[in-house]
Amino acid sequence: MTLSPAPAGTTEVPVTPPEKAGASHLGRLKGSRSRSQAWAAYLFLAPWFIGLFAITIGPMIASLYLSFTDYSLLSEAHWVGLDNYEKMFVQDDRFMTSLKVTTTYVVVSVPLQLAFALGLALVLDRGLRGLSFYRSIFYLPSLLGGSVAISILWRKIFGVDGIVNSFLGLFGYEGHGWVTSPDTALWTLIILHVWTFGAPMVIFLAGLRQIPQSLYEAASVDGAGRWRNFRSITLPLLTPIIFFNLVLEVIKSFQSFTQSFIVSGGNGGPVDSTLFYTLYLYIKGFKNYEMGYAAGMAWVLLLIIAALTGVNFLMSRFWVFYGDEK
Amino acid sequence: MKRILAATAVTLVAISATACGSDDDSDSGGKTKVVFSYWGSDARQKLTESAIATFEGKNPTIDVEGDFSDWDSYYEKLATKTAAGDAPDVMSIEIRGLAEYAGRATLADLTGKVNTADLDQDVLKAGQVDGKQYAIPTGVNAFPMIVNRATVEKAGQKVPDDTAWTWDEYISIAQKVTEKNDGKVWGTEYNENPAFLQLFAAQRGEQFYKDDKIGMSEQTVKDWWILLQKIISTKAGPSAAQMLETGTNVDQALLATNASAFGSWWSNQLTTLSKGSGQELDLLRMPKAEGATTAGMFLQPAMYYTISSKTEKADAAQKFVDFLVNDPEAGAILLSDRGLPTNPKVVAAIKDKLTPADQKVLTFIDSIRSELSPIAIPPKGSMEMEDILKRATDSVLFDKATADDAAKAFLTEANAALTK
Repeated sequence: MTLSPAPAGTTEVPVTPPEKAGASHLGRLKGSRSRSQAWAAYLFLAPWFIGLFAITIGPMIASLYLSFTDYSLLSEAHWVGLDNYEKMFVQDDRFMTSLKVTTTYVVVSVPLQLAFALGLALVLDRGLRGLSFYRSIFYLPSLLGGSVAISILWRKIFGVDGIVNSFLGLFGYEGHGWVTSPDTALWTLIILHVWTFGAPMVIFLAGLRQIPQSLYEAASVDGAGRWRNFRSITLPLLTPIIFFNLVLEVIKSFQSFTQSFIVSGGNGGPVDSTLFYTLYLYIKGFKNYEMGYAAGMAWVLLLIIAALTGVNFLMSRFWVFYGDEK
Repeated sequence: MKRILAATAVTLVAISATACGSDDDSDSGGKTKVVFSYWGSDARQKLTESAIATFEGKNPTIDVEGDFSDWDSYYEKLATKTAAGDAPDVMSIEIRGLAEYAGRATLADLTGKVNTADLDQDVLKAGQVDGKQYAIPTGVNAFPMIVNRATVEKAGQKVPDDTAWTWDEYISIAQKVTEKNDGKVWGTEYNENPAFLQLFAAQRGEQFYKDDKIGMSEQTVKDWWILLQKIISTKAGPSAAQMLETGTNVDQALLATNASAFGSWWSNQLTTLSKGSGQELDLLRMPKAEGATTAGMFLQPAMYYTISSKTEKADAAQKFVDFLVNDPEAGAILLSDRGLPTNPKVVAAIKDKLTPADQKVLTFIDSIRSELSPIAIPPKGSMEMEDILKRATDSVLFDKATADDAAKAFLTEANAALTK
């Protein structure tokens, strides 16, 4: 399945290189020459390997070790066994709060965002004029959504003197600090997330292009209406794409950080209402100097995401349609 | 192909060579290099760079490198560098970080290493942990009530005598200011700064910290919240949500935008507030609780200069710190940027150069000098205090918890953070 929509009318690029150059080249790819080419390959791969071990795998192993210590950045690490993990699940109320907040965020915002993205993709798929323009416009929030600037803008939009209140003021509604009230703060972040529907939308658009037109034609011969088409053709054939988007967005939104960091001013407030998991992890590690604990939290997060993805894959058997099944 | 390989190899070597090169900071052209870390605004960076240049002019064998960052990321950066064994030779820290850093043996004892004879000895004590002078205060701040007289008087009110005024008087004046302005200008802004609670507790003879624990009673914390609730319910000040939105950035203070008549800020912020407001702002003692004998005013070091215990250039580092706190030339450049200097010789030299706002602060601090509460150094673990207090306070102000429950929770959580 290719995800990028191929513009209609382009011819396939030939896979084999032109005759002349190919023949003479292949003939000499033997013996010492090929060995030195292998070396060259390794050499060119080296930056990636160094990166993998020095920047990813090495630190991961270190953090696994640290999660069993009381490392505080400023002093030596001492082995404390499972203390950090026990504290997380037994004593730490804020840890549980952060889980609750993050779960609410994911469970509400991901389906909303996907529904929104699919809806717009369906509208845009109707051979609209200037489609690429609209596509870019709608994709824009995805590029900006996680940025600091947008988070600051969000604070302004939903502020006491922000445009949301100015608008509601027209109906006589008295100002409310949406971002700064514990009851509504998380919802402004959810709206922010839904607003970044561009990335899944582009993927949906690509998916819609792959549904054979002939199916719709056959259906219209049978007298199917628009809704029937959507229910029986579009949706089932689109399930692999929906699944792909779902997995991706769940993983991504579980790791959201910037929005809450900026909008709450770095403390997950008011009253922990926007305390995302990663934000709490950051507070523990870099503000309270409990690096060991923070490392433990990172591993728990990894397990949670792995488990959720696993569940997603298990569930997919029941609703994702791959076309080749009976 | 060979040429490409060779080129790649050369590039890789070059990259790793430059990476190693940056580690080598022991000397630059025969000079001793001292790294000095600090946080702040662009204005502070300019002042500091100019002070460094003056120091280097006087000490040609020393090369001071300023390591500047903004406040939000300062401690992260410092902690990471300290953890990596790459701590700056001279570090700025503030009062909440002192016990943390001193207690973890990252700071050198400066007793007898830096000349402190001329400094205010009471303030100097606020740089000691376990009897050792780990830190030299850069200057002091008070936490006063700042007032825009014109706004108060326009509302037909008088600014009362600040040696005798009470919280009730303060609230009733503020309330009238709000009323007269139809809520377009508030009577007062307020904050959840621990310094505010510290003053409030001192008026009842209690200390914020005592014996490395919270020294305040549950009742005091509760009464402080009741005071804040009263400010909100009487409309003397804006709602908690709106106050939270204004934030703790002094540029956006209601006082700085002429949107309130009263507000409490650190005294070195008066210059910024006055600049923003464009009107005369004055400093007052905090209002007192009914029957209290003290307003609880205290001086607090704005920040400290400290030297890493791991530095190999202790001599040069000490010389630099000595220059910053004792040399009138340094004072003339830095002025009150790091709090008002406590070295009288420096103060005398810079007096005429201070802004009108800073001159007011100088007069104010002199006037309260006889009635000050002692400076309390927050114990280890107090870095979290501001967040813990804020969370508890917000839970009360947003009606998420009763004052009783929140006070209990606050004391438990705060003491747990301190014993960690």
